[in-house]
Amino acid sequence: MSAMTEAAEEREPRAKASVEETPLPASAPRPIRCAARGVKKAFGKTQILKGVDLEIAEGSFAVLVGPSGCGKSTLLRLVAGLEEADEGKLEIAGRDVTRAPPRDRDIAMVFQSYALYPHLSVRDNLAFGLRLKKTPQAEIDKRIDEASQMLGLGHLLDRLPKQLSGGQRQRVAMGRAIVRRPNLFLFDEPLSNLDAALRAEVRVEIRRMHERLGATTLYVTHDQVEAMTLADTLWVLNGGLVEQKGAPLDVYARPRTKFVATFLGSPQMNLAEGKLQKASGGGFVAEGGGMALEVDVERFGAALEDGREVALGVRPHDLRVAQPGESPSLELRVEIVEALGFEAYAYGWAKASGPRVIVRLEAEHARRARPGDVIPLVAPPEHVHLFCQKSGVALDAE
Amino acid sequence: MTLRRPLLVLVALVLALAAFACGGATSARRITVWHAYRGDEERALKEVAARYEVERGVKVTLLSVPFDAYLSKLQAAVPRGNGPDVFIDAHGRLGTFTKEGLVADASGAIGEADVARFDETSVRALTQDGKRWGVPLATKCLALFVNTRLVTSEIATLEDVQKLRATLPASAVPLAYEAHTTYYHVPFLHAFGAELLGSAGDFAMVGRGAEDSVALVRDLTKDHVVPDEPSGALVKQLFVQGQAAVVISGPWLLSELRDEVPFKVQPLPTVAKTGKKMRPYLTVEAAFVTPDGAGKPDAVGFARWLGDDASARTRALVGKQVVATKSAWADPEVARSSALAAFHAAAADAVPTPTSTRLQATWVPADQAIKKVLRGEAEPKAALDEAKARFDDVMRPPPPSPSPAPVMLLAGGALLALAYFGVRRARAPGFRAELTRSLPVYRYVIHAVVTVCVLVVLPLVAGAATSFFAGGRGETRFVGFENYAQILTARGGALLGHGSFYLTLLVTILWTVLNVAAHVGIGLALGLALARPWLRLKAVWRVLLILPWAVPSYVTAVAWKGMFHRQFGAMNAILTAVGAPPVSWFSHFSTAFTANLLTNVWLGFPFMMVVTLGALTSIPKDVLEAAEVDGATRWQRFRHVTAPLLLPQLLPSIMLGSVWTFNMFNVVFLVSGGEPDGTTDILVSEAYRWAFTRDSQYGYAAAYAVLIFLLLFVATRLLGARVDRAKAKVA
Amino acid sequence: MDDKPSVLERVVVHLLLVGAVAFALYPVLWVVSLALSQGGLSGTGGVVPLPRAPTLENFRLVLGTTDPDGAWLFGRQLANSIVVSLATAAVGIAVAIPAAYALARFPFVGKEAGVRALLATQMFPTVASAVPLYLLLDKLHMLDSRGGLVLVYAATSVPFAIFQLRGAFSQIPVDLEEAAMVDGATRFQAFVKVTLPAARPAIAVTALFAFMSAWNEFILAATLLSREDAFTLPVVLQRYVGEHDAAWGSFAAGAILVSVPVMALFYVAQRELVSGLTAGGVKG
Repeated sequence: MSAMTEAAEEREPRAKASVEETPLPASAPRPIRCAARGVKKAFGKTQILKGVDLEIAEGSFAVLVGPSGCGKSTLLRLVAGLEEADEGKLEIAGRDVTRAPPRDRDIAMVFQSYALYPHLSVRDNLAFGLRLKKTPQAEIDKRIDEASQMLGLGHLLDRLPKQLSGGQRQRVAMGRAIVRRPNLFLFDEPLSNLDAALRAEVRVEIRRMHERLGATTLYVTHDQVEAMTLADTLWVLNGGLVEQKGAPLDVYARPRTKFVATFLGSPQMNLAEGKLQKASGGGFVAEGGGMALEVDVERFGAALEDGREVALGVRPHDLRVAQPGESPSLELRVEIVEALGFEAYAYGWAKASGPRVIVRLEAEHARRARPGDVIPLVAPPEHVHLFCQKSGVALDAE
Repeated sequence: MTLRRPLLVLVALVLALAAFACGGATSARRITVWHAYRGDEERALKEVAARYEVERGVKVTLLSVPFDAYLSKLQAAVPRGNGPDVFIDAHGRLGTFTKEGLVADASGAIGEADVARFDETSVRALTQDGKRWGVPLATKCLALFVNTRLVTSEIATLEDVQKLRATLPASAVPLAYEAHTTYYHVPFLHAFGAELLGSAGDFAMVGRGAEDSVALVRDLTKDHVVPDEPSGALVKQLFVQGQAAVVISGPWLLSELRDEVPFKVQPLPTVAKTGKKMRPYLTVEAAFVTPDGAGKPDAVGFARWLGDDASARTRALVGKQVVATKSAWADPEVARSSALAAFHAAAADAVPTPTSTRLQATWVPADQAIKKVLRGEAEPKAALDEAKARFDDVMRPPPPSPSPAPVMLLAGGALLALAYFGVRRARAPGFRAELTRSLPVYRYVIHAVVTVCVLVVLPLVAGAATSFFAGGRGETRFVGFENYAQILTARGGALLGHGSFYLTLLVTILWTVLNVAAHVGIGLALGLALARPWLRLKAVWRVLLILPWAVPSYVTAVAWKGMFHRQFGAMNAILTAVGAPPVSWFSHFSTAFTANLLTNVWLGFPFMMVVTLGALTSIPKDVLEAAEVDGATRWQRFRHVTAPLLLPQLLPSIMLGSVWTFNMFNVVFLVSGGEPDGTTDILVSEAYRWAFTRDSQYGYAAAYAVLIFLLLFVATRLLGARVDRAKAKVA
Repeated sequence: MDDKPSVLERVVVHLLLVGAVAFALYPVLWVVSLALSQGGLSGTGGVVPLPRAPTLENFRLVLGTTDPDGAWLFGRQLANSIVVSLATAAVGIAVAIPAAYALARFPFVGKEAGVRALLATQMFPTVASAVPLYLLLDKLHMLDSRGGLVLVYAATSVPFAIFQLRGAFSQIPVDLEEAAMVDGATRFQAFVKVTLPAARPAIAVTALFAFMSAWNEFILAATLLSREDAFTLPVVLQRYVGEHDAAWGSFAAGAILVSVPVMALFYVAQRELVSGLTAGGVKG
């Protein structure tokens, strides 16, 4: 797959050679607060992490995203000190903490299950960590006050966890992390137990909290919406390796592998296997699955070869209905139309034997589209993605 | 990760307890006396001891030891110097005492010159190998209690009693006594010139005389001279309520009698047919000095003190004892109690109970033989011959000492196999890393491992090791696998013959299966009933139904035994109320087994109910709702959803419950006591019998215990595998 | 399930419950009646057990026992039972908790074998171990003492307690301890401050079982104790059933006095009993 899979000795050169990573947001370079270097971890015979490098800049919000089993939670638990790495090194705030127990790492964590102490009131849950550190009571009260104001927990302080709703529990769990004022915040899929509406609300809240506290954060999720909306830096994990990292929009716009391309974006990117063909005007056309997509030659440059086997992809949002007279890239035979009101998705085929193709339709087209219709579509070249059919790596990242 | 703090606390606790235990240093002027007296007798003993304390300045600690534990406590404590200095017990165990060295020669307490001060028979009873082993205190023997209102004539012969039948009203019986108990039958035996134990220690209750004596009692019962199945409680009640003209009983009945009936006591009559007296066994209660006590002048002095004139007077007046000190009977106040005097007279004719350790083994077979004849299940000759065969079986000589090779080989083989697997395991790749990772964890388990190993496993292993030895206490020797061989071959008898391992095993399995089925059935039904959402007062129902669990099991067992009492039990009261004839619960296997079963079901169903209730809460409601939506009926929902989800959760409890039931000693031993004829015994109670009522064959009992363990271990391993499979299926 | 049960279901369930309660209560009533009667077995009778001449004499007799110095013997013996049973529960639980926790949380070499051995101890008839135990305690100089009794009881209660607690601990989410460790606790602190409190119901029930086993035991107590003022109540009770006669009235009165505290504990703990047993799952 990528150079990152290579052995640990090549770590240094690889850092430089690694793919066109879009630079971090323009602000001045900040020191690294947390780093993992060449981390490996196996459970029994299953190798979960196969050598992962990770860096989180001071005050930034890093999101680890990936399908289940990709190792993201394991990586988080390694950072937390709940598991010990087999190989590699972990640093937090400049200190090697590879073998340090959790309590010596000065971190706070929000668990997927919230892990509220069932026998303690909300107040005591919040105070738990501070009391262990023998923080003066006045200071504890002050911090609990702050946190409960920020999260609106004031009226819940004397309740037991079992007397709280799911959303309230989630906020207590965050409060418990906030009062600690740790070096690093860790979130382990904190929203997965909430319903959709609440999830959106709390997501905003988490981002707001981050803006306000500016705390360095590592956040694990399998939900791409959370990943896209929350992250300063997105780390996409797959099969125990970092598949791509970067600002969320850059990763979205320039997926480095077929996996990243399909993992991010909903509905998924349309993909088909096909071939490159040299076009008359010196350009290239990628043909496959009933589509003939014009390619951005500047973007792919030398990787373009006549007859090369590629996977071609275009996101449903990037297809548009062809103007009258315009030559379409594909003709979609509609099977089903999903109308969402402000937009609609049409599902169908460009070719009977080809893969399913999805397209987002503007409201005006959506109203008219019926199953059985044939809609001519155009894919703008700048939105056409090409991947090597064998390695799955984007042609512009090889 | 440190566990040092709780470890320290635990160690401190243990040390504190140990210090607590060792407290109370002994001073030289202090003696300990054991006895099994209650009530008046205890009061008298205390008075006598108090006087000794004042007079001699010695602290006398009196300990009343429960009768059931008396001998085993002596056997355990005396050899290790933890026993008493002086103890009071019946002379019948003298053989055991001398054999095991529990007593010292008591010549210091009763010298040559003192012999004349005591009743001649009582001194004779305590003399063995030309030595006097104890100071005779009191005698107990059977005598005749005569209701002087019902009986105006003199009773000189048993035939006189028989004749009363004609003159008494139908509601009254001429003679009441515990006819099915050998101890009470001994006078009849003697009247026919027979004996219970022969001079060679053989079972002598066979032959013409013995057969005739048993036949006589059978005829008495048939002619309604003697009531059916008279228990001690019934005998007492019949006499107290004036419904028995004459009863045979001992001095212990005196304390139960108030002024309800006018009565007199006289020695047992003669059987006119043979012209011989009905001579009962004489029990001489004596003060014995232990080897420890023999070294203390205060202890020897106390034994002597107990038998002196003043003490005897107190024991007679306060303790209402039939004292063996002659001078007491010259005291006018003592002589005023005609009943005591009558017992004293009866004692003169009585036969001292043999002191041979073999006597102990005669009671059970003899009891069974008498019961069989009285129930009409066998002719006297057949019954008594069978009893002799059983006695000989129990008293069979211990097998010869074989070479220890087979046991050593097996032990060596086991060790070798263990070592082999250990080494193989240790050589397995990754073992070292695994072990390193495990090391910190051992700090969590070390307390439990040490505690359980020392206080649970070690005694069990030591107990199991005795299974390679045979013979009673003091004469044990190594016999290798002989105990096992004898058990597994039913000692040469029929494999499913009476008392064989296999028959007992079958009974045990039947017992376990029926019990567990009932526990689970009732527990499940009640659990499901209590889980009805609409049921009101759930907490009340639950508490009422849990009640049996809160009662100690031996209380339950003894109480139920009382409820199954032939005459006074609640069960027969219920049967009578619904018009059914009362049942003699413990004279048939089926009813006795049912009695045990009912008791144990009562004892055990709340546990399964609670387990079911708990397991029910873990069944997701939506699954049941889904089934309901799918159109399943109530029964189908239970059959196809609830039950399959419930069962795997219940299985571990069922397994544990089965193990407990398999070894449920208390109920079987206390309710039916194996009646009738040991048929309802399960393996554990059978093992107990070998250890404690059959000539102390601990090794044999231990072999039983080991076999029980092996059976359960294999069975649970097989079942466990099935449980895991069942669980895997649901998960 | 149905909200509205049929009349038939109501009737069947209530019949079942009433029948079971009658079965459960009848022997208890019988013992109570016996305790209130004079004259032993014949003092009570009938289908509904009622004392013929109700009296508290038996209770007076049992409660009023004194030793030669006039001290209240029953009080001493009651205190013995309470002290021994409480200490048994405390020591048994203290020993079982760390082991059960380790079994629930960590893999380690010898775990399987250990569990199997623990289970095996439950299968060996205890009849076989009384004499060796006596010898052992004698060596430790703990014979005739409450301490020795407590050690023996506690040790015998440990295997079952471990099974119970292992089940309970494995049901407590690991997350809780991890949260505590991230919050700055050592593993031990996490265990003490989070896991133990969360397992409270199961621990209470397990302690109740250990308490009960000690409170009801009499074979070992009768063997190991030799001073009357050191006796526990079951030994006292056993003495009422003697060689020639059974003092049924005293036995029944004593039985009630022994059973009432356990019943009270059961009443208090009944809710935890259900949840605690479930948590334990009595997993073999």
